[in-house]
Amino acid sequence: MRQQGPRSYAECGVWILASMLSVPVSAQYVDLEAERAAATASGRAAVSQESPSSARTDPYGAQPAQTYPATSYGVNTAPAAPTAAPTATNASQPASSRMAGSELGNLFLQVQQLQQEVMRLNGKVEEQAHELTTLKEQSLQRYIDLDKRMAGATPAANESIAATATVSPIAAPSGGSAPQAGEAEGYRAAYALVQGRQFEQAIPAFKQFLQRYPDGQYAANAHYWLGELYLVLDPPDLESARQSFVLLLSQYPDNPKAADALYKLGKVQFLKGNREKAREYLDQVINLYGGSNTAVVKLASDFIDQNY
Amino acid sequence: MKRLHIFLFTVALSLMATTVRAELTIEITQGSDDPASIAVVPFAWQGSGAPPADVAEIVDGDLARSGQFAPVARVDMLGRPTAEADVFYRDWRAINAEYLLIGRVSGVNPVRVDYELYDVLRQTRILTGNQSGPASEVRMVAHRVADAVYEKLTGVPGAFATKLLYITVDRKDGGGLSRLTLSDSDGASPVVLLKSGEPLLTPTWSPDARHIAYVSFESGRPAIYRQELATGKRQQLTNFKGLNSSPAWSPDGRSMAMVLSKGGNPDIYVMDLASGQLKQLTRHYAIDTEPTWMPDGNAILFTSDRGGKPQIYRYDLRSGATDRVTFEGSYNARPRISQDGRSMVMVHRQEGRFHIALQDLVTNRVQILTQTDLDESPSIAPNGSMVLYATKQAGRGILAAVAVDGAAKFSLPARQGDVREPAWSPYLNR
Repeated sequence: MRQQGPRSYAECGVWILASMLSVPVSAQYVDLEAERAAATASGRAAVSQESPSSARTDPYGAQPAQTYPATSYGVNTAPAAPTAAPTATNASQPASSRMAGSELGNLFLQVQQLQQEVMRLNGKVEEQAHELTTLKEQSLQRYIDLDKRMAGATPAANESIAATATVSPIAAPSGGSAPQAGEAEGYRAAYALVQGRQFEQAIPAFKQFLQRYPDGQYAANAHYWLGELYLVLDPPDLESARQSFVLLLSQYPDNPKAADALYKLGKVQFLKGNREKAREYLDQVINLYGGSNTAVVKLASDFIDQNY
Repeated sequence: MKRLHIFLFTVALSLMATTVRAELTIEITQGSDDPASIAVVPFAWQGSGAPPADVAEIVDGDLARSGQFAPVARVDMLGRPTAEADVFYRDWRAINAEYLLIGRVSGVNPVRVDYELYDVLRQTRILTGNQSGPASEVRMVAHRVADAVYEKLTGVPGAFATKLLYITVDRKDGGGLSRLTLSDSDGASPVVLLKSGEPLLTPTWSPDARHIAYVSFESGRPAIYRQELATGKRQQLTNFKGLNSSPAWSPDGRSMAMVLSKGGNPDIYVMDLASGQLKQLTRHYAIDTEPTWMPDGNAILFTSDRGGKPQIYRYDLRSGATDRVTFEGSYNARPRISQDGRSMVMVHRQEGRFHIALQDLVTNRVQILTQTDLDESPSIAPNGSMVLYATKQAGRGILAAVAVDGAAKFSLPARQGDVREPAWSPYLNR
């Protein structure tokens, strides 16, 4: 195993130096300190000359390209001595056994390639495991945050509707210089209730919002959320949901939410028992948005697959 | 297991304890954003003849190097009080000094320094103290004054009264002479501990700061040596086939982690220093190197390319489990840990350049501390405030230091030759 020296960094280059092998050291792995040590040993300049400064700045960068050629796995197709390893092996063999030595060299090369492959995979596994742990922690953190927000909101559940309802008028500047700001705030306040899963309070909040900003830039979104909210009520208010989605589609046919509204309309009709009408809407989704909104088209076709 | 190979060297080496001219000069390259202003008034000399040293200047320099203080220039001082009765706060408020340090030096051997620190804004004395030591250590006495002032004002013990080990290499054609040098933390009072025509590498400190260890090629191949600072007595600890490198003392001082390749390729071993018994920790066909201990002594961090690229791993000495520590970037090597075990400094490659980076071991957040290229061998001050490292400036190897928050920097270029592999000592006499 001593021959695998070329992969070395840090003092390992020094170690090669010390063993005074005169084989060319495949220098892309010799790092800073090793190179410096080599430079200090003036009598052995040959070794330090093997370390081009360009290789030093990226001692590991060139590795995958050289070490994992697709053709190198069979003994017969193994490339001839691309690294110092076979050289080192040969150097340690008596001249009379060169023939056996070359086969041994191939075998050695294969082992070395396997080792490097395992190391590369090992690194991948380590990184993915780390990523997984990080993601788990993050999602747990997110859940805890959400939980805290909800817990913080519940004590004021009854007041929150009134509070939300009054946020917009107060926030909306009477001078009208920036009506959008007040609108955005009002919308966010109502939407925060959705995020906080306070669906029953969110409905009056959005209604109030629409009364105040019937033609605002968030009106379509508000209609959409109202429709959604009626659907999550227990029992769902299907007729109100239908009205919200129809209103959105008739008033804002070009709004990005229109596609979703159309799909939801199909679902509402299905829930109401109007299978034919539902199918019409769903087919419409696929026909109208087949080329653009792939997410909703997939939802529609999945729904059809499951129910028709 | 072989018995410990012990012998003292006298041949082919000049073991010296000669004081040479200051090899390192300090250049402050970047200060902190909001340093506290402190006036260090020249201390009164209450003896006969010439004063042993300008103690105030040494204290002044220490505080300035930390980056956390901006000393007032002497020419700006409206008065030069040396006793409490002469302190007029308005003189110091007028030049916006927040703190004032005055003092008196007396005695020749031992030399004694009395000092007082004042808070100018609150108009109160906040520290009174004295330090003494033999005349030959007057600079150390001054550093201890700076330590006390630093601790009073920042809440963190100072690390000025500490030592540095580093290696200088002459750049003469045909004969690069290596010197293992010991100096004060400000680069002053350098003493060459060992000179060799063959490479010297990775000097390191024992936790009690009484011994050092290093790798020397004097026998033609790498071997680990231990040396007692007080006597210069040396002992060869290893003489194995292949690589013998990167000695690292355990926090209890009883054992030493090292890299040996006697088993075929570099792995981490721990040697019991009393018996010489070796224990192999890692057993992997990848290269495991650069071990360093966690301050609690329960784990060893090391660099390994077992994941295809050099990264830092943690070997738990109780469970024997190995976990990867670094995940940012494709090159992280040569870890060193702060005494509180919270931060790790390392060599980190970003966009093909080697920087010193700090990883918070709790949050795992990585902060790059240096903007220079080819930075290596980070070594952390015992109070965790600064990181000393080797880098290149105009093609020459120099030492540089950076505050752990990246705010303050200074460099210690050598008068001649290259300097590398710095090792900041633990606290002395503790």
